[in-house]
Parts: sequence; structure tokens; C-alpha cells
Amino acid sequence: MRIYRWLLRYAAPQLDREYGDAMEDALDARLADARALGAIAYTRTWVREVAALAGVAISDRVDPVARERRRRRRAHSRGKATLMGTLIQDVRHAARRLAHSPAFTSASILTLALAVGANTAIFAVVERIVINPLPYPDSDRLFELDHGSAALRMTAGMGTTQGLYYHYQERARAIESMALYRTSDQTLTGDGNPERIRVTRATPSLSTVMRVPPAVGRWFSEDEGRPGAADVAVLSHALWTRRYGRDPNVVGQSITLGGRPLEVIGVMPPAFSFPEPRVDVWAPSQLSRATGFGLWEHAGVARLREGWSYDAGRSELQALIPGVVQAFPDDPLAAGNVQSTQLIFAGRLLKDATLGAVSRALWILLGSVGIVLLVACANVANLFLVRAEVRQREVAIRRTLGAGGAALGRYFLSESVVLSTAGGALGLVLAWGGLRLLVRLGPTTLPRLHEVHLDAVGVAYGALLSLAAAILFGTIPLWRSRALTPSLHEQGRASTTARPRHRARHLLLGAQVALALVLLVASGLMLRSFHNLRAVDPGFDEASALTFSIGLPDNKYSTLDGAVTAHQALIDRLSALPGVRAVSGTTCLPLSGGCTGNTVRVEGVVYPEGEIPPLAMFRAVTGGYFETMGVRVLRGRSITRDDVDRQAPVAVISDALAKRAFPNEDPIGRRMASNQPPRPGLETRFTWLEVVGVVANTPVRAVNEPRPMPYLYTPLSIARGPDVPMSAMIAPSASVLSFVLRSNVPPLDLVPAARQAVYAFDEDLALAQIITLEEMLNRASAQMAFTMVLLVIAAVVALVLGVIGISGVMFYIVSQRTSEIGVRLALGAEPRLVAGHILWQGGLVAIGGIVVGLCGAFASSGLIGAVLYGVSPRDPVVFGGTALLLLVVALLACWLPARRAARLSPLVALRTE
Amino acid sequence: MAPLSDSTFYVLLVLGEGPAHGYAISKAVEAQSGGRLAPTTGALYQLLQRLVAAGLIAPADAPAGTDPRRKYFALTALGRKAAAAEAQRLEGLVRTARKRKLYPQGA
Repeated sequence: MRIYRWLLRYAAPQLDREYGDAMEDALDARLADARALGAIAYTRTWVREVAALAGVAISDRVDPVARERRRRRRAHSRGKATLMGTLIQDVRHAARRLAHSPAFTSASILTLALAVGANTAIFAVVERIVINPLPYPDSDRLFELDHGSAALRMTAGMGTTQGLYYHYQERARAIESMALYRTSDQTLTGDGNPERIRVTRATPSLSTVMRVPPAVGRWFSEDEGRPGAADVAVLSHALWTRRYGRDPNVVGQSITLGGRPLEVIGVMPPAFSFPEPRVDVWAPSQLSRATGFGLWEHAGVARLREGWSYDAGRSELQALIPGVVQAFPDDPLAAGNVQSTQLIFAGRLLKDATLGAVSRALWILLGSVGIVLLVACANVANLFLVRAEVRQREVAIRRTLGAGGAALGRYFLSESVVLSTAGGALGLVLAWGGLRLLVRLGPTTLPRLHEVHLDAVGVAYGALLSLAAAILFGTIPLWRSRALTPSLHEQGRASTTARPRHRARHLLLGAQVALALVLLVASGLMLRSFHNLRAVDPGFDEASALTFSIGLPDNKYSTLDGAVTAHQALIDRLSALPGVRAVSGTTCLPLSGGCTGNTVRVEGVVYPEGEIPPLAMFRAVTGGYFETMGVRVLRGRSITRDDVDRQAPVAVISDALAKRAFPNEDPIGRRMASNQPPRPGLETRFTWLEVVGVVANTPVRAVNEPRPMPYLYTPLSIARGPDVPMSAMIAPSASVLSFVLRSNVPPLDLVPAARQAVYAFDEDLALAQIITLEEMLNRASAQMAFTMVLLVIAAVVALVLGVIGISGVMFYIVSQRTSEIGVRLALGAEPRLVAGHILWQGGLVAIGGIVVGLCGAFASSGLIGAVLYGVSPRDPVVFGGTALLLLVVALLACWLPARRAARLSPLVALRTE
Repeated sequence: MAPLSDSTFYVLLVLGEGPAHGYAISKAVEAQSGGRLAPTTGALYQLLQRLVAAGLIAPADAPAGTDPRRKYFALTALGRKAAAAEAQRLEGLVRTARKRKLYPQGA
């Protein structure tokens, strides 16, 4: 409404003064009516009302009554020529002049609007996601507690153990507060349908570290974080809304998670989504220093103490690591994990960890829309130059009559201010619409993308850009006008337009071509990267397959046998569904992270002291898993249902593990085992598994992993049962299984029947993470697709602006030289040669721009390298192809004006004056 | 007197029923013209402003208890005359059309 009033004030000031309030009231009523009809009707009404103001503005100026009234008022107020008054008058005159050349005005405004809109939209995204990605107070001081191992060649990603947590807590001065957490999926039962939800178990300190208190009720206390305390839960705002209808009385009630009761003590505010958006319940991790160093099963987050830099804190923690061996003298795990692995502290600032490569991509995008803005400015400046030349006589007369530089400056600047204001306003509207589209289409992995909108900062940025643009293209013709001054003595019939006069325009054109080329090269490289990424063989067949996971509650399925029997029964029921060709299950799908991993032993191989045995990710599978997933068996055989039924001690390993553990040897028939944590006073016993097959590699997190992770697959029936703690056996838990359904029908059509079948088996079970394999693969490349699409849009806009610029200026040059061309044609010049001359002139400018652009793209290739995949940032095909494409497009843009020149009739041409 | 514009005539017709405010006028014009005319807020108020300036309508007192921003308009004597003249002109046109069998009686 404020926008409407603001526009109205400019469109028809008189109307605004007299009836502004009443109109606001009427518009309110109208919009309220439209809103009742739906969003489309509402938007249409809004757009129609705002657009109609243009008509009102024109009619207000045309209307004789209104004009007369204005004239009288102006005459009345003449004499008090204040600075403000002069400014307003300048702007008014400029607006009138612009209204007289609608083609120039609308072209300039549209060009500017496109550029300002694109810049403002991308800036809003960058501002929200990159500059301020975490919705926690002082989030710049938060960092993750993560470790890596020099010996295992893992730079990061191991997480942390409780031993390190207590050790840091006791000694680190750089840390103000810290928390451990781990996230798993559990089934919520009671009050309605069972639901698989994400649960984060955290130390009670998490709320302090994040500095976010619950919105309702309280967070868990220190006592509730000790072993044996009553279990409590804090709900997410989303779960509270979805399942409990925001009932505040839910605090104090009991919920059942994985078959165990928890008392609800609080609800977090909507913005709190640590460590990930899907978490629905936070419950206390019940840890105790007495249990020793512990396993790498936690993630950690810490807050840097005021006055410490992150680098200093990081160095302190790294220096503290060796001391953990003395801190846990009785625990051999501490020594084993710290010394032989050469543990390194690998935490990153939470901001950087959350954003990953996104921030680089977004900065590149911001840079590229900045280039688009420059191209747009060059375009408008060129249009301005053309206008300036057309009006050189007018300017010359003004000068002769005593107009100083300042007055002339005002003359041009006021036009550019009016244009950029209009362009900027339209650009903000475009940015607003573009952002809504962007938020809808953007990948879900971008943090806070859904919060992006056009706020005051974005509007200010757009306004600033418009102002900068106004100054940029407003001063260029001014600088040219100095050179134009003497032209008054030139007679009217001049217009063979001397060469230097074109130089500025040619420079601007060349710059446009160069900038467009840089963007085209960047988007070409992204296109190739994306193509490469999609061409990577993920190691499985993604077509027509549905997956979902089912977790069995521990209280009902408390043994390994019970869990395996239940999963097999579910597989049998799911296999019987119509449209299902095959069903199998795994404890961890590709692209869903590492899940469980450990170092492995090979029978008969003794690793020298200090050398770490090979590392492998473990997956327990049911029979026919590789066949159902479409994972190629390279050697030997796969795991069968018979292996599962017999609890056969067999293993299938991935190609990467075969190469690492058995270099140049045949692994079939050899025996391997998961390394067991050493226990004081007990001899380590290994459960040996015979290697029966080798299968293709599959990705852990992203399809473009530089080194494939080694995998070890076992039958589900020898995985870890619900009654065995992880500390006793490092193996995947058999309780949670991801099912894969290969189907003849569209996979998502199977969901209702699958849900029914699972419900019929046990009504406390719920399907979670329902997704097709294809979608899973798409999500793995969504971020690159997002960057690519935006870059391509920016490049295409730059190209289109460039083409319009070249073509427009060449047309202008032809029209300026009409009489010259006429003379040439009359004297017998070949039309073909005349056209060739024009084409050559344009082509020369284009080639110059292309050469400069190639150099620019070459120089800036380092910037984009980080977001590319499988293509050199200086790929000759992309560089060459783009240059050629741009040359062809530029020549095409010159061809039309050239053809017009060739077709000029000498008589008509000579008559033109 | 020159013929009135389409929308002017409709506004005068609407106000013939009694004073009304902007949005009510707009809705009535839309209804009476069968949706053919649907003036936007800006266009309507511009028209109202001109009609006030021409003396065909005048601002009227709002009924007690309405939004103070809401402005009411009523027909002036001149406006009434103008509407009558326009109706007469149209009637004349219809009569001529009937005479030439372009618009049969009763249609």
C-alpha cells in the first residue's frame, strides 16, 4: 500500500493530495475482495492497479484542465528558486524529455530493471545465506568439533568422542561452552499414526552453546544428562504444530519413542533447527566421564570464548590432543586412537561447515550478475551517447548561450537519475518476483533459503546500485559533450561522422562483448561440469526403484534373530505387492553418508606397529541386494537369502576395498574381520568373514567423490543385534533397514500399498525417508544444477543485452552514414561491398571484445575452479566454442544493419537530411 | 452539450441512486455495465476529480461511523441535468435507429 501511495504521488501528485487517503481505502476494500478469490486474482488486481497508474500519469498530464492548473501553480511559485526547486524542475524537465522518446526510454528502463532486479535478487540470497547463515546469536563464534587422521588419510569428518569432549572441557581456555550430539531416526508411537522422526541426543549444554532457549517449557538440566536419569524430550516447533496442534499442555505429558517413554519438558522456537532442519525431538545424551574415551559416535559443536580468534582456539585444541592419553590412562582406546592415527583437530566454523561450496558458488553468481549490470550500464550509456549526438546541436546552443559545465551536467544527470529510478523501481519488483521463484526452485540443502525475501537491506542495495548506475552512464555522455561543443559551426549537412566520435561507442560495445564472453565461458564450464556429474556411473541403477526405511522398536524386537525375521517377513509381504519385481534391504543406502565404519583386519596379514589397517564402511544386507540395486558384481558371487538364513560368515567387498586390502591379489576365499576395540585384560577375538565376491563402488555422499570409499557388505543376520552395544561389536545395527523396491510401475505409486503391507504386519511401524533412487541421485547434484541454471540465465541476459547493444548501435551508425552510403552507391559502389564494410566494422569490434573477454575469462578461471567437476577451468573446447558462438551472434547482430545499408536506394539516401 | 464519456455517464447514473463512496461506485459501474467497464482505483478517482472540477458531482458528507478516510460523492444539480441530457440524446439515437429498422421494437 505504501508503494502504491508512493507511485501515486509521482504519477498524479494532485490526485494524491486530494484523494490519496480515500483511494487507499478503496484499494484496501478491492484487494480484500480479490484476496477472497485466491492468490492469482489478488496478484492480478494488484498488478492491474499499479499498472493503471501509468495511464493515470499520462492522462493527468494530457488533461487540459489539470495542466492548466499546474501551469498556474508553477507560475505562482516562480521566483523562489531554491536548490530543491531547481532539482525538482530538472527532474521534471528530464521526465518530459524522456517521455518524448518512448523507445529510448523504455529500452533503457527495461535494461536497467533486468540488471538491477537480478543483482538485488542474488544479493538477497547471498546476504541471507552466506553473510548470515545461522539463526543463532553470535553465530560467528560457533564451530564444529571434528577430527581427522593423518595416518588414515582422512582430513576431516571423523566427529568426536566423549573422551575428547571431557578433555577439552577440562583444559581448553578458548572454549566458552561445548556440546556433543548425535542424530538418529526413531519411531514415535501413540496419539495417532506411528511416525519415523529424527531425534537428536545431545548433552544438556546444547541450548547454552546455541544460546537459544525453548519457546515453551524448559530445556533439559545437567542432572538429566547423567546416566540413569529419567528420559525427557524437547519437541521441535514443527512436530508440536503437526502432531499436537500447538497444545501447551503437551509439556508434562509422556511420548513413546522407539518403545520407550519420554516426558515432554519443552518446545523449541520455530527457527531452531540444529543440527539439521528435519530434527523433531531433542533428548539428553546420558554420558559419563567414567565410561572412558569412547567411540567416534558423536558430533560436537562449541562456542569460542570472547576475545579468542578461531585460529588461536584451533591451535589450542590441536595442542591439547596428545594430552588425552594421560587423561584416560586406563583406557587403551585413548592411546590407540590418538597416537597411531595421528589425530588432528579438523573443526571448521559452523558457518563454513553449513555452507560448504555453496558460498563460493553464490559469490560467483553475485559476480556474474554484477557483470550483467555492467553490460546493462554500457548498453544504456551507448544509447545515451546516441541521444547526445542526435542532440549535439541543442547542447552546443546551450553552451554558446552560456550554460556552464554544471548546468549541462545537471541536464544529462537528471535524465539518468529519472531513468535509473524508474529502472530501479521496476527492478525491485522483478527481484521480488524472482526471489519467490528462486526460493521455490532452489535445492533444499541450501540453509535458510526458504527465509530469503526482499528486505530493507535488499531494497537499499537495489537503490544504491541504481544510483551508481545513474552516475556511471550519466557522466559518460557528459564527458563526450565536451568534445561535442564546437560542433555548432558544423553545418547541418555533416554526418559523415568522424571516426573518433565512434570510438567511445566501440569501446563500450567491445566491453559488452568481453563481459558477455566471460559469463558465457563460466556457464559453459558449469554446463559441462553438470553434464559430467550426471554422466558419472553411481554404481547402481537408479531407474524405477523406491526406497524407504523402517526402524524396529527395541522393546518389541529385542534380539538379532527377532529383527532379522521381522525384516524378512516385511520383504516377503512387499515382494507380493503388484508391480514389485524385487525387494531387498540394506542398513545404509548409497549417498546417505558413512553410517558405520571401522578398520578391518585381513587374516594372515600383520600390520607393522604404527601402520593403520585399511578402513571400510559396513553395510549389512538381505539376500539379493546387489541384484535389486543393480550393483554390478565384478568377481565371485553376491550375498543370497541362503547366506542370511544360515548366518553364513561371508562378506562381499567393494572394488575400492579389494584394491586397498588385497593389492595385486585375488581376494576371493580370503578372510577379513572388523577390528575390535582392545579391552584391558581380554584377548581380542575376531569374527572372521570369508570374502565371496567383489562389487562395484558406490558413493557415500556425493557422486563426484574423488576417492571411492571402501565398503564391506555382510548378511543382515550377522549384523549387530539391538541387545548388543556398539562398544562390544562395531557393526551396523540390524534394527533399522532401508528397503529397495524395484518396480514395473512408477515407483511412488507403490507407496500406499507398501504402507498398507507394513501396517498389516505391525501397526506400530512407520515408513520413513520415502524417496526414489532417481530423486536421491537428483538431489546429489541439485546444488550444481541450481548454480548452473542461475549462471546460464545471467549469461543469456548478458548475451541478449550485448546483441541488442551491438545491433542498435550498428543500426544507428548506418542511419548516421546514410548520406555517405548514398554517395558511394550513387558512384557505383557494390552493395555487397558496402554491406561487407559495415559487417567488417562490427566484426572488428566483436573480435576485439572477444580477445579481451578470453583474457578476462582465462585470468578469472581460478575463481570458478572450485565449483567445477571433471572439466578444467581453462577447457579449450568451452573457450573456443564460446568465442565462436559469440562471434557468430555478433556478426548476425551486425548483418541486419549491413543489409539495410546495402539495400539503400541511392536517391532516397541522398535525400535524407 | 457534448456527449458524456461512457464511464462518466455510468458514474452519474450510479450517483443518481444517492451518494456513494469510491469503491461502491466502482463496483456499481462494473455491475451496471455488465462487467464491460471495470475502472481501476486510480482511473476512477481521476475521473471523480475531473467531474468535481467540472461541477457535475460534489463531495458529500459521509454517514456517521464510517472510516474517516472514505470520501462520499453526490450528484450536483448540474450533474443531474447533464445525465438527463445524455439520456435524452441516447433516447434520440434509439428512436432514429428504430425508425430505420436497425433496432426493432421490443428487442
